Amino acid sequence: MILNGLRRSLSSLIGAIFRKKKDVRIGLYGPVNSGKTTLANKICMDWIGEQLGKVSIIPHETREIQTKESVTIKDNGKSLTFNLVDTPGIATKIDFENFMKYGLKRRHAKQRAKEATRGVIEAIKWLDRMDLVLVVLDSCVDPLNQVNITILGNLDARNIPFIIIANKVDLKKSKASRIRGAFPNYKTVGISAKTGFNIEELYSSVIETL
Amino acid sequence: MNLKIKFIPYEKFKRNKFRIFLKDLQESTILLIDAKLTAEEEAHVIKETMRKVSGLFTGIELNSLELSNAKKLSNFEKLKNMVIEKLIGKKRGLTIIGPAKTVRQIKKNPEELLLYM
Repeated sequence: MILNGLRRSLSSLIGAIFRKKKDVRIGLYGPVNSGKTTLANKICMDWIGEQLGKVSIIPHETREIQTKESVTIKDNGKSLTFNLVDTPGIATKIDFENFMKYGLKRRHAKQRAKEATRGVIEAIKWLDRMDLVLVVLDSCVDPLNQVNITILGNLDARNIPFIIIANKVDLKKSKASRIRGAFPNYKTVGISAKTGFNIEELYSSVIETL
Repeated sequence: MNLKIKFIPYEKFKRNKFRIFLKDLQESTILLIDAKLTAEEEAHVIKETMRKVSGLFTGIELNSLELSNAKKLSNFEKLKNMVIEKLIGKKRGLTIIGPAKTVRQIKKNPEELLLYM
């Protein structure tokens, strides 16, 4: 634990020295339908006045990596410019028949499943390119599942700084405390990407972390 | 239902980079590995299985137990486990990978794994 902390501090120190030479990349990662694109849209709307991607209740709406370049956020006189990367939701299984329950025709459902599997592979491949990852979790869902554990484990093992986002705190079923309890060693910020609740804390945490 | 379970030594899993077991999963075989996979290995397993997803094979359920991280262990026991794991080259534990069409869910409980079919 101490060694990991030291390693993280050292890598962020090295990152801070060399950051100016390259673009900072912040990635949104998480399981399917946790609100990654909604958060990406909120950040982009707040700072550049345009959206990044389409949001849908049908799982795997984001099936390709989407990037918005040169997003500048400000907090307490400090600012940070970065490229925002929205990634497809990570999943261990994708069944095209599930998409048909949302009214998609068989052919379209199969195509969506095919694209979604490629999206998962791409998202995993892109992990190493990130300077900071926002792990977006749905605070209405039990956080102790294998996808979340694999994402966090990989970030830890690769020494990539990350912040856990307990999203959807505006919903009645939300239990952000469950996420904090499940991952007590990591920084967690409870927000609602949809309503913008507590988004300022996220901006200040991002600037503080990088 | 014909249920097949294959027990795999971690060393064989590592040597073959998992690829030779993909066919087993596609043929509805549940894999049991005698170690806790690392986070990178888990990501590798997800990536490789995603490449094989089709109408018949919809992916996997995956979960694992890590013996050396059990909450009841004293610091001395944790340190002892760390040394042992360095020597044997694997994390002591258990990993289950099952085809999603066969295994509905694998729940961690927290020191046991429960398979729901």
